Amino acid sequence: MDRIACEWCRVQNPPGATTCQTCGAPLDVRNKVSDSGWREAPRLRDLTEFRFSGSVCQVEGELVPVAELALAPRDWVYFEHQVMLWKDETVPLSAMQTGGGFRRMLGGMPFVLSVASGPGRIAFSRDAPGELVVLPMPPGIELDVREHAFLLAAGSVGYSFVRIKGLANILHGGNGMYLDRFVTGPAPGILMLHGNGNVMERMLRPGEKILVEPGGFLYKDASVQMQAVQQELKVGLMRKMYLAEMTGPGRVGIQSMYVHHKTG
Amino acid sequence: MTAPRTHHYTCRYCRHSSDPDGVSCPRCGAPVDVTAAVTRSGWQRQEPIADMARIQFGQSYLQVEGTQVPVADFALSGDESIYFSHHSLLWTDPGARLASMGLSGGWKRVMSGLPLFMITGRGPGHIALSDNHAGDLVCLPLEHGQAIWTREHRFLAATGNVTYDWQNTGIWFRTRSGDETETHYPIGMFGDVFTARDAPGLLLLHSPGNTFIRDLAPNQPLLIQPSALLYRDLSVQTHLHLEYPHTDGGFFSRSYSYRNVWLRLVGPGRVAVSSVTEPPESSNPIIRSSPATTWRW
Repeated sequence: MDRIACEWCRVQNPPGATTCQTCGAPLDVRNKVSDSGWREAPRLRDLTEFRFSGSVCQVEGELVPVAELALAPRDWVYFEHQVMLWKDETVPLSAMQTGGGFRRMLGGMPFVLSVASGPGRIAFSRDAPGELVVLPMPPGIELDVREHAFLLAAGSVGYSFVRIKGLANILHGGNGMYLDRFVTGPAPGILMLHGNGNVMERMLRPGEKILVEPGGFLYKDASVQMQAVQQELKVGLMRKMYLAEMTGPGRVGIQSMYVHHKTG
Repeated sequence: MTAPRTHHYTCRYCRHSSDPDGVSCPRCGAPVDVTAAVTRSGWQRQEPIADMARIQFGQSYLQVEGTQVPVADFALSGDESIYFSHHSLLWTDPGARLASMGLSGGWKRVMSGLPLFMITGRGPGHIALSDNHAGDLVCLPLEHGQAIWTREHRFLAATGNVTYDWQNTGIWFRTRSGDETETHYPIGMFGDVFTARDAPGLLLLHSPGNTFIRDLAPNQPLLIQPSALLYRDLSVQTHLHLEYPHTDGGFFSRSYSYRNVWLRLVGPGRVAVSSVTEPPESSNPIIRSSPATTWRW
C-alpha cells in the first residue's frame, strides 16, 4: 500500500492512517480550496493526536480547541503565559528573555516568554472561537506571525521579533509594532497558532499581490512583503481605509474573525 | 431509464422555487437534501450553508468558505457590483474596483453608531467579506419588488440592484434613576430595509450563533428577546411588551427589578432570530415608552 501524503504539511504517513502524525490534519477528507485559491486550514478532530520530537499533542474540543501536550523528558515548549490552561504540578516553568524588553513593553508585547519542560502534561488555549493551526517547520523556515496569535512553539524553533517598519505600517497596519518571527535552523520544529474564526492559507507567486484587511492577517512566510497601503476610500468623515498589501512569493494565512482595525 | 423529476420544489429557507436535484439551493445555498429540523413550537433551524457552496447571482457568484465564522468570497464578473460596510472587508484582489458610497442622514447615523459610508465593490475580481462573530451566514434572495427588514449591524452585503434604506424602529423606552433619564432602544434606533426594486437581488446577513425562522399566521403574536431579532417581513408588526412578574414583598420587591422587556411580533409573515443575544438593559423604572402592551402577573 502507498504511503499517504498530508495535504497540509506534505509529510508522508503510513498506509491506513486517518490523521497526519505530524500535524493532526485529517487524511480521509479532501483538501478544501476555494475558487480564488484559498485553502482552508484543516479542522482538527476532537481528541486527535500527533507527535513532535518525543512528545505528543492531543487536540481537545472544536469551538475553542485546547492543545494538550504530553512533554517527553528533555523536550520543552515556550509560549505567552496567559495561554496556559492547566498543567501537572510537576512540570517546571521557567522564563525566556525575548530581548528588546522596554520597547516590547511599549508595544504591548510580553518581554518574557514562559517555558515548560518535560516530562509532564500541560494544556494551552486562547480566548476566542477559532482554529488550532499546526505548522510543522522543516529546517530553514522563517515565518512571521501577528502578535498574540501564537499558542506555543517547540524549543527547537528559534524566536525573535521583527519591528514593523514605516509609520504608516505601525499606525494603520493593524498588527501593532512587532511581528513574531519563528525560525528553524538545521533541526525541524513545530509551531501552533490560534486563528480566530476560520483560517485559510494561500500561496502567492513571486510578485503576486493581494490586499488583506490588516486585522485578518495571521501569518506569512518571511519572504512575503507586507505594506499598509491607503485606499482612496472614505470610511468616515476624516478617515480613509488602509489595507495590507501582501506581495509574494510565499504563504499568507488569514483568519475570518477579527476585531476591525480602525483605519486612519 | 429514469424519468425526469417534474415536481415543484420550493426552498423552505429562502421561499423561492429551487432545484430539487441539487445538493444545495442555488439561490441561497441552503442544503436541499436535509430533513427540516422543526421544534415542537414551530421554529425551524436555518441550516448552515455548506462549506465551499456556490451561490449564483447574475453572471457572478459567491462561495462560502468556513463554517465557524464563514467568509463570503464574491467572484464578481464584468460590471456587476455589491456593497458592504468597510468593517466586513477581509481581502480583495487588487483589480477589483472599490469606491465609497455616501449615505443620507449622516449625523443621525454617526450618533447611533452606524457606518457613515458603505463601500461598493465592482468586478471583475474577487472580494471576500466576513463578520466578527461565530455564527451563520444567511443568504436571502429577493424577488423583484420584495423588501425585508433587518436589524442594524447584521448586514453583510447586498448586490448592487438592491436598494438600501433605513428607518426609525419606533421601539424605545425611557427609564429614570434619580434626576437622570435614559432612553433605550432594544432593537436599535434604526432598522435597515432592503428592497429589490428593479430586478431580483441578493442580501447577505451575518447571524451570531444559530439561526431560526418561523412563519407567523395573520394576527399570531410572538414574544422574543429584542436583541435576538435578525430579520422580518415588512408585514410583521412590532411593538414592546412589558411584563412584571409578581413578587412577595421585601427589599427587592420593586416590580421593575424583575421586569422583562419583550419585543412582540404580530403576523402575518416570517421572522428570524439569532441565538446569541445581548444582555438586558438596566432595570430602572420606565417612565415613558413607545406603544406597548403590559402584563402584570
